[in-house]
Amino acid sequence: MAKTLLALYDNPDTASEALSSLGHRAVEGVRVVSPAAYPVVHQTGKPGPWRLMGFLAFAGGMLGLTTAIVLEAGSAAAHPVLHVGGKPDVAWPAFGVVMFELTMLGAGLTNFVSLIVLSWLSRRKIHRKAREAVTADRVAVVVPVGGKSDNDIAAIRSDLAGAFRVEVMP
Amino acid sequence: MTPAASLPMPAIERDTLATFKTPGRRYWLALLTAAGITALGTWTFAILMKRGLGITGLDEPVMWGGLIASFVAFIGISHSGTLVSAILYFTRSPLRSSVGRSAEAMTVIAIMTAGLYPLMHMGRTWFAFWLLPYWNQRQLWPNFHSPLIWDIFAVCCYMTISILFLYMGMLPDLALLAKRVKGWRRTLYRVMSLGFSNTDAEWNLFERAYPIFAAVAIPLAVSVHSVVSWDFAMTLVPGWHSTIFAPYFVAGAIFSGLAMAIILLAFLRKGYNLHAYLREAHFEILAKLLLAMSFVMTSVYLTELFMAHYRGSPTEVSIFTFRMFGHYALVYWVIILCNCVIPLLVLFRRFRRSIGWMVFVSVAVIIGMWFERFMFVVTSLSHNYEPYGWRFYMLSAKELTLCLAGFGFFALLFMVFAKLLPSISVSETMQAQHAAAHAGDEGAHG
Repeated sequence: MAKTLLALYDNPDTASEALSSLGHRAVEGVRVVSPAAYPVVHQTGKPGPWRLMGFLAFAGGMLGLTTAIVLEAGSAAAHPVLHVGGKPDVAWPAFGVVMFELTMLGAGLTNFVSLIVLSWLSRRKIHRKAREAVTADRVAVVVPVGGKSDNDIAAIRSDLAGAFRVEVMP
Repeated sequence: MTPAASLPMPAIERDTLATFKTPGRRYWLALLTAAGITALGTWTFAILMKRGLGITGLDEPVMWGGLIASFVAFIGISHSGTLVSAILYFTRSPLRSSVGRSAEAMTVIAIMTAGLYPLMHMGRTWFAFWLLPYWNQRQLWPNFHSPLIWDIFAVCCYMTISILFLYMGMLPDLALLAKRVKGWRRTLYRVMSLGFSNTDAEWNLFERAYPIFAAVAIPLAVSVHSVVSWDFAMTLVPGWHSTIFAPYFVAGAIFSGLAMAIILLAFLRKGYNLHAYLREAHFEILAKLLLAMSFVMTSVYLTELFMAHYRGSPTEVSIFTFRMFGHYALVYWVIILCNCVIPLLVLFRRFRRSIGWMVFVSVAVIIGMWFERFMFVVTSLSHNYEPYGWRFYMLSAKELTLCLAGFGFFALLFMVFAKLLPSISVSETMQAQHAAAHAGDEGAHG
């Protein structure tokens, strides 16, 4: 029995229409692979752990800040440095710049690594064939049909009618 | 659904792929010229490492000269790319899809070039790692009270974030183009795309991650040039010790960065036949921004003079008089001509709509801004508090070679970048065209 239907579109708006029809039929688990962030991408209920990104970036920023504090205050306390302009060894205003830079660096690096790792985790839920099928002029709609009756599958196929190709994937 | 939303998507991809084709004779000539200048610079750098800073014109009291001026100039050029791209992203400007990628690449390449100059200026470049904070047997740590160490951190952080910002924006394009290209380029793009597959979940992550990155990049861009300015402003040297320096440097950086962006975009448009994406209207917008920044710079120059005069400090008056009428007067008036007078051409529609004239204005601005950095680095040191210590400094031929080599290295890297990687964002252009097509439909129906 077919587990997934892969429909390929040469127009993102036709794919969008298909998703609307599937939505009316309350078909769940529909996914899209798109060459650009067209509106159709946002019609699948925003899957993926994207909500984590802000928290992770914030955590990375705090880690960067902590690193800066430890590095500056720790090294100054452990090994007193040359006195510049009579400032104390641990001079917070002077340390502010490096703290800011490392906070931003931590947030940026964490953000990038999070994107790569979470993307890797989330894309595995979509069949490789569907991901490989998408090029600049193709949008793929992936519909899970495992456990559905033949009538339901036929109805879903009719919703995907605008596709230039519909394939059945295991 | 209206058929107007049907997109000419392959055209965008085809035009981008066309930039990867075997280059023509003019490209090779330009590349060889840039490579030649870079090779000459590398040779001079090797001589500098062998013989030390004695081959430069540096001598007491002028211990910062052309190399530091070039460092500041390239940091300035790097400023606009990431900053402008991030601002255009937040303002949802249609300019971004065409201009953003090249501007970001310009930032990365300029900051890489800038980073070479402090290494040269050290003389003993092989001890550069002493600047890094690491546990060592000498129990020595960098002095975190010093603006020079802030500078190391600021430049390194900005370079890292700029590289990642450029790279992150390219991920969707690399994933798409890997399916079109062949051979080593296909392998390169597959590896570089890090498995990005353009799924809906990945787009959701991307659309959350990208603004966070842009929000990080904007304050970093402003901070890096402020921190560079504090290398000077935190000292008590006349002409440097000023609270206006940070915004002055940031404004100057945006000014020179915009000028370089115009030159590079004109090169891409002409050399890679990207007329459809880099339109004259885009250049006109950039030209107006350039003019606005020219006005800001003019006001800064006037403010500096006014403050020096009104404060009544003999040293300050002396240094600004020296700049205008002393040994370096020619430098000063070249700055005024290039940064304040020539950009006024943009006021006239005929000039700002001509890409050739805009390139001329931009080249003048780049020259003017390099001279400006040279002026404030050198004149303040050569005309310090004590008249008996005054000394005339001039670049040695080898120093001049190193300064020019930076531009050769910059051009070389940019030409390689434009041949190797997509210089226009494919996915963003498609998205922008889709949105524009729908906006057009709504307008027609409304």
